[in-house]
Amino acid sequence: MAKKISNESVVFKKALWYHDRLLLAGVIIVSIALFLSVFGYMVAPYDPGTPVGPISQPPSREFWFGTDSSGLDVFSRVITAPRIDVVLSVSAAVLSGLLGTLIGLGTGFYEGRFSSLVMRISDVLQAFPIFILAMVLVALTGRNLINLIFALTFLYTPIFVRLTRTEVMTQKTRTYVEAARATGNSEWKIALKHVLPNSLTPSLIQLSVTVGFGILLTAGLSFIGAGVRPPTPEWGLMIATSAPRLILGEWWSSLLPGIAVSLTVFGFASLGNALERRVAS
Amino acid sequence: MTKSILEVKNLSVTYATLNGPVVAVKDVNLELFPGEIVGLIGESGSGKSSLALALLGLARFPGSLEGQVHFGDKELVGMAEDDARLLRGKEISLITQKPRQSLNPYLNVGTQISRVYRAHTEASQDEALKHAVVLLEDVGINDAERRIDAYPHELSGGMAQRALISMALSSQPKLLIADEPTSGLDVTIQAQFLDRMWRAARDRDMTVLLVTQDLGIIANYCDRIIIMEDGKITSVRVTKDFFANPENAYGERILKIARANRSTLQAPTGEVNDIIKVKDLRKTFKVDDGKVLQAVDSVSFNIKKGRSLGLVGESGSGKTTVGRMILRLLEPDSGTVELDGDNISDLSLKEFNALRSKIQVVFQDPFDSLNPRWPIFKSIEEPLKLHTSMSSGERRERVLEVMNSAGLDAGSVNQKPSGLSAGEQQRVCLARALVTRPEFVVLDEPTSALPPAARAELILLLKDLQTQLGLSFIFISHDLSTVRELCHDVAVMYLSQIVEIGTTEEIFADPKHPYTKALLDSVLFHDPNARRVDKARLTDLEGEIPSPVDLPKGCYLAGRCPFVEVRCTAEAQVLAVTNGKQSVRCWKASENQPLGNS
Repeated sequence: MAKKISNESVVFKKALWYHDRLLLAGVIIVSIALFLSVFGYMVAPYDPGTPVGPISQPPSREFWFGTDSSGLDVFSRVITAPRIDVVLSVSAAVLSGLLGTLIGLGTGFYEGRFSSLVMRISDVLQAFPIFILAMVLVALTGRNLINLIFALTFLYTPIFVRLTRTEVMTQKTRTYVEAARATGNSEWKIALKHVLPNSLTPSLIQLSVTVGFGILLTAGLSFIGAGVRPPTPEWGLMIATSAPRLILGEWWSSLLPGIAVSLTVFGFASLGNALERRVAS
Repeated sequence: MTKSILEVKNLSVTYATLNGPVVAVKDVNLELFPGEIVGLIGESGSGKSSLALALLGLARFPGSLEGQVHFGDKELVGMAEDDARLLRGKEISLITQKPRQSLNPYLNVGTQISRVYRAHTEASQDEALKHAVVLLEDVGINDAERRIDAYPHELSGGMAQRALISMALSSQPKLLIADEPTSGLDVTIQAQFLDRMWRAARDRDMTVLLVTQDLGIIANYCDRIIIMEDGKITSVRVTKDFFANPENAYGERILKIARANRSTLQAPTGEVNDIIKVKDLRKTFKVDDGKVLQAVDSVSFNIKKGRSLGLVGESGSGKTTVGRMILRLLEPDSGTVELDGDNISDLSLKEFNALRSKIQVVFQDPFDSLNPRWPIFKSIEEPLKLHTSMSSGERRERVLEVMNSAGLDAGSVNQKPSGLSAGEQQRVCLARALVTRPEFVVLDEPTSALPPAARAELILLLKDLQTQLGLSFIFISHDLSTVRELCHDVAVMYLSQIVEIGTTEEIFADPKHPYTKALLDSVLFHDPNARRVDKARLTDLEGEIPSPVDLPKGCYLAGRCPFVEVRCTAEAQVLAVTNGKQSVRCWKASENQPLGNS
């Protein structure tokens, strides 16, 4: 018995180690992604938009990630792409986070017919396959950066509404809310000063995860031609243009941007995951 | 000397945490003998619960055990899991603190009890169920035949606890480990429960290790007392010796707090006005299937300036609802509340909000009633921001002043509530309530969520404040001994009504209502020479408080009262003055008849 328990505690320690490392990986990857989305163009060795050498060169000392079928430097394109992918998904996540939190606070604090109506609408939105809806939205509004941000915001807001609302509904039954009322706070002060700050944790965790999904969605939309236009450096677009050349043995121009997408999504997701663990324990 | 039933040698419990291993129980040695009840006392976090669990050879994840636990001739630490399971539940049973959380929510009570029984006997399911009914009847559950089909959420806390104890006793264990089994139970239910446990120990030579923080329980039910501090056992004494001379610093401290020299209450002299006048308050709630729950029924009382009223009753009696209606946190169905002669029931909520600096509240659960993200300074300061035009410097001065009078260290202003002990948290709540110098405070069970030492300290503090500030308050509580110390007047509530109201002396000297008598009976004095189990009872109440949804036609206590007569079940009772003293809702008392022999 005693032996078994000590085994369990070893497992527990391993779990702690694992989650600490996960957090570390998340922080490093997210920092690099954010750094590149601001300074990517400065540190890129070549201009990502103009051909700089012979086409379809494999990775070499001169072109680290090789060149693609138009003679563009793949490495420069991979590290400048966060300007689109990360900026777009971060803005969409922040906007939907703000909007969703406010709607969630309102509908959670004042439960009633209007609140139920808002929730039903948001349920319907969440029931659609998100990728298809994004395609339709972009097709309707036109392919540009602003429209993409709005489309993503529109799609991600219901998640934050639901998360915040649930938390608000729990928090508002706690005694400190009653105490705030007994102190003489008006209802909107109670909502903003007391309930809101205590209801933010789930949304903050979700924010990081949403950025990850946003990157995936942006890249996906570009891959099918519904995102940004070529020759803008963007991971999904790079994969789309270079994927057919895989068959010719040119792996570097599509695989390397693919790895960049995976790593970034993994980074944001594990950051969110680790934050959630921290909050829960 | 008899042979010990349990012998613990060099036992340690260690938990792996984020910040490295934490040793909860350090190198403990201990012996328990057949048929004795041993109290294990110590502050929260001293390792009591870890030790209790370790005696079963268990540790909560991620803990590990070291050392030896001999039970009879068997060694529990390191025992094969299959062998240990045969012992647990059969020879050693455990009752934990939270009764409802210890029951499986998906299984009905009968199934759970019969499973324990069947795990250790050859009984068939039918036999086991019959046995379960007998066990439930044994622990005083009415209508056990029907109750075995109930699911845990359908039971009250008291009933769930009794289901647990019958499960624990079903296999007639030799050793019962009870980890604060009565915390959260009402006083009359607590007394019933402990009486049964005491009887089982005496009749069947069962050994009980009773983990508690309540000296009253120790004095009344335990033969020996073990003190735990910081994971170590620091003292083992016979109860009577301990109360005579604890010979231990921690023991001396808790005894001193419990016995602190209590000054008598000072009442204001001369003609004083009523600060609060409550008239005929009523409140009902709609529940499922269109039924109506009667929460408060025709409650009236006055509190004069500088005086305090104790509103006493068990859970579900409606006492908290009365408090919330005075504060306008809940609107009454009918009835009025006057503050200092002004009717405050007709004011709009906005108008009333402006008055909130005059009428304040302290809630039961101190941690839950503080905004967890705010440093305590901000929480105490908030009423000043809302109700005064003080500058931030003036506010700071006032907050520090009130913190000082609430016994809080000025250095803790930037702490978050989670960093404070429950007692300190409740002082913060009290400071917040007093910061605007209110005329009236509703204290809604401010002491019942606190460990006994902190409770005693808070009572002393309240008493000081009462003398210094001439504070008027209503003190809602289920604890009569606290009310006796703090309040000039007492109102006893039972099932939405006041059943007896009068001055504290009147009620304690000559309780007239059977329910008041039962409440007085259930007070556990900190004196091993005045044990409840040795005394003749004034009233022995049977069973549970009825549901406030289907109230009986006559006296609400009729179903539990040992003095019940036909007239009790036929007539609704009225609150009537007796002998020019307290008012009582019992026809026998108001007609000055003896209650009867029981």
